[in-house]
Amino acid sequence: MKIIRTLLFLALWSIGAGPLFAQGSLDPAKVGQAPTDGWTNYHGDYSGRRYSTLKQINANNINSLSLAWVFRANVNQGAIKATPLVVNGVMYFTVPDHVWAIDARTGREIWHHVWPSQGGIHIGNRGVGILGDTLYVETADCNLVALNLKDGKEKWRKTICDLDQFFFGSTSPIIVKNHVITGISGDDLDRAGYIQSHDPVTGKIQWRWYVVPQKMGDPGSETWPNEDAMKHGGGMTWQPITYDPELNLIYVPTGNPQPVIAHKNRAGANLYTESIVALNPDTGKMVWYFQASPHDTHDWDATQVPVLFDGEVNGQKRKLLAQASRNGFFFVLDRATGKNILTTEFVKTNWSKGIDAKGQPIPNPAKEPQVDGALVTPNQYGATNWPPPSFSPDTGLFYVNAFRAFSIYYIYDPDLENPQGWGGTDRGGWQEAMMQAIDYKTGKIRWSHKWEGGGSRSGVLTTAGNLVFTGDGTNNFVALDARTGDALWHANLGAGVANGPITYELNGNQYVVVGAGDTLYGFVMLAKEPSRQLSQRSR
Amino acid sequence: MTRNIKRFVALVGIMFALCLSGSAILQPTVAMQPQQADARAVVQKVCGTACHALERATVTPRSRAQWEDVMSKMISMGAKATDEEYATVLNYLAANYGRDASAAQANRPAGKSVGVLGAGANDKHIVDNAAADRGRAVWAAQCINCHGTTARGGDKGSNLVRSDMMWSDRYGSDLGPFLQKGHPTQSGTPSSSLSKTQIEELSHFIHQRLYDTLRGSPIFNVQNVLTGNAKEGEAYFNGEGKCATCHSITGDLAGFGKTNPVNIQQRFMFPRARTKKLTITVTPANGPAITGTPVHIDDFDVSLRDDKGEYHSWKRTAALKVVTNDPLKAHIELLDKITDKTMHDIVAYLESLK
Repeated sequence: MKIIRTLLFLALWSIGAGPLFAQGSLDPAKVGQAPTDGWTNYHGDYSGRRYSTLKQINANNINSLSLAWVFRANVNQGAIKATPLVVNGVMYFTVPDHVWAIDARTGREIWHHVWPSQGGIHIGNRGVGILGDTLYVETADCNLVALNLKDGKEKWRKTICDLDQFFFGSTSPIIVKNHVITGISGDDLDRAGYIQSHDPVTGKIQWRWYVVPQKMGDPGSETWPNEDAMKHGGGMTWQPITYDPELNLIYVPTGNPQPVIAHKNRAGANLYTESIVALNPDTGKMVWYFQASPHDTHDWDATQVPVLFDGEVNGQKRKLLAQASRNGFFFVLDRATGKNILTTEFVKTNWSKGIDAKGQPIPNPAKEPQVDGALVTPNQYGATNWPPPSFSPDTGLFYVNAFRAFSIYYIYDPDLENPQGWGGTDRGGWQEAMMQAIDYKTGKIRWSHKWEGGGSRSGVLTTAGNLVFTGDGTNNFVALDARTGDALWHANLGAGVANGPITYELNGNQYVVVGAGDTLYGFVMLAKEPSRQLSQRSR
Repeated sequence: MTRNIKRFVALVGIMFALCLSGSAILQPTVAMQPQQADARAVVQKVCGTACHALERATVTPRSRAQWEDVMSKMISMGAKATDEEYATVLNYLAANYGRDASAAQANRPAGKSVGVLGAGANDKHIVDNAAADRGRAVWAAQCINCHGTTARGGDKGSNLVRSDMMWSDRYGSDLGPFLQKGHPTQSGTPSSSLSKTQIEELSHFIHQRLYDTLRGSPIFNVQNVLTGNAKEGEAYFNGEGKCATCHSITGDLAGFGKTNPVNIQQRFMFPRARTKKLTITVTPANGPAITGTPVHIDDFDVSLRDDKGEYHSWKRTAALKVVTNDPLKAHIELLDKITDKTMHDIVAYLESLK
């Protein structure tokens, strides 16, 4: 039945992909494809590599990169954390309660949708998903909203979470076939996280997968002390998923268990929090899992991007998945089976007693938060956090903005045996920051570029031009040499790079666009003969 | 959990002569810190077999003077204690259930939004603290035996912090109809007889308990960090730690023990340069070295202000030498070496420098 419905859907879409589609719409076959003339998904393509084959801008000519346009959001909703999408020359991006369509060549506004919010934490919004002539966005007040791609008018809205339970929406919907897949945010209360799939036409829920088991006896329930702890066990789905169309698996990275810091009433590994989980996108059924932080007590959501690439391990071609996790560990898995291939630290940590047979770190109970304090590295922000990393197939290196940071973790809740909510946190700290280039075959750091002015919360983009784009801690947008880590180019944007940079080519010009503070900056490599058309006209 | 309840069931009894309920479900309002274990034993001895819930006794925070009044009354009603025991019990109650010590009372902002990041709906329940205090009396009379002091429940009552109904409730909107239908009360009074005002006040009290579990909660603070051995801390200070190389307990650290212990711990582990500042020394290929306070440093540029207040700026090249002089280097190196035990020992030692 489901298959028939899917086929029918695809048939309808393929008819639609012809002239029936509006001019600006996105051909479903292009969603998540390797980016060249656009950026059709949060990560560019489905793999999460954030790698572009474009090389008009490269390590040899980067000093000729020009600023083409600036677009300031200016709506008092903080920094632009969204990765913009680019479809048919139009760029779509968000801050909480706002969606814009702007011209990707000029940065000039086409439309602006303002959402009247009913509440929720407005910490950031990761961006939109697009399919056909529809744009999908999550709002802080727990709605999935479908807008007309051409004018930003609302088509429909669906509630995806309960504001009264302090959930909120912040992540970018990801389109996989006829599924709009949405994660949820919010770890203020002890509530169960989930991810769900919606029909792209009606918004109706197709399936929901709970990160924590819903009754004793279900798989994973053996890692919880009782049903109450489990059903209130957290596991937010903060970040956009990745997808392998061949294996037909989506990869969901899951957040921390609850109560997060004061943990005494949730003894056990607390599955499937802090995990990378492979789900069938048509059914929402789990195929495999790998837990990055069993029984986490440090708020180290394992929601960093599960990056997909094909590589060679011991001379054999393998379908791989790699994550540089917030807890300081780098994992390489077989993405068909979830079997661990490699686990290493990408920064030195002090919280684990070693690696178990499954490749998972073993937490050291002495480094769990204590009433009188435990000195822990990394700190609560983590060895890295939500800003997306990048993988370049040209160099075989995984690039991640990393921190080596210490802090002291305390338990605050006077009720030591039955803590609730945020019964503790970490305080103070010292840190240094660096870009780590990790060799996926060995887990070794090939090069480490220390940020002398401190680190940033910036995403990473790599290109076939042998470039790594990111931000440093002093408001610079920076290009590094992908092979050596040498700093090649920078522009001081006056505010920290707050999203993942993107690149695309339009009319033969390669653009690089990045958000810093509440402003998008469009850089371009100008053609060799400047303004020819204009000078011809004026002649 | 059960063991924990039993541990506290027998705490305060005879102090309150009128035994309204002998089977209260109890939870610690405040966790026992190590040095309080002895005090607890004394409370147990003085108060004898429980005939009254600790919660009932302590549901209203009292000042030290008020607790003295209560204890005098209890003694007059037959409680027996030596002067020393009396003082211990008084100290225990004042410390754990004192009005001054109750951050929940003292620091709770009036009519403010909840949570540090503004979670929840725009029309969420905003607690009226005065109404919550009145609701506390209803709670003590009708609810506390089963749902506990902090509304986290127990063997007989559910955990209201995890109640979907209470999170969707606004000023009794959901609680009222629920109690109208009839719900057991500890006094036996029909729940449907509670007035609209009482229900609203109860809702304020419960929401206060709910919001107490959020980030930035007034009841969530660092507890006791003085668990180390000062003597061993002193040995480390003068020996392996080489702290005495830079510090003197009669010089820069004289009186440092008066600092709040948490701040002692934080400042020892993560000091910020207060007297000796971080400087950089920049040496151009063909010029003299210039040392000063860094203004900006990144991969491409470096600038500083020298001790005459002059600003200097350079584009970074391979020929330009930049050296950082960090007076806190030894502290940073400590992070990878020090054990938590030594950290606690040092804090205990530094706290003794009064």
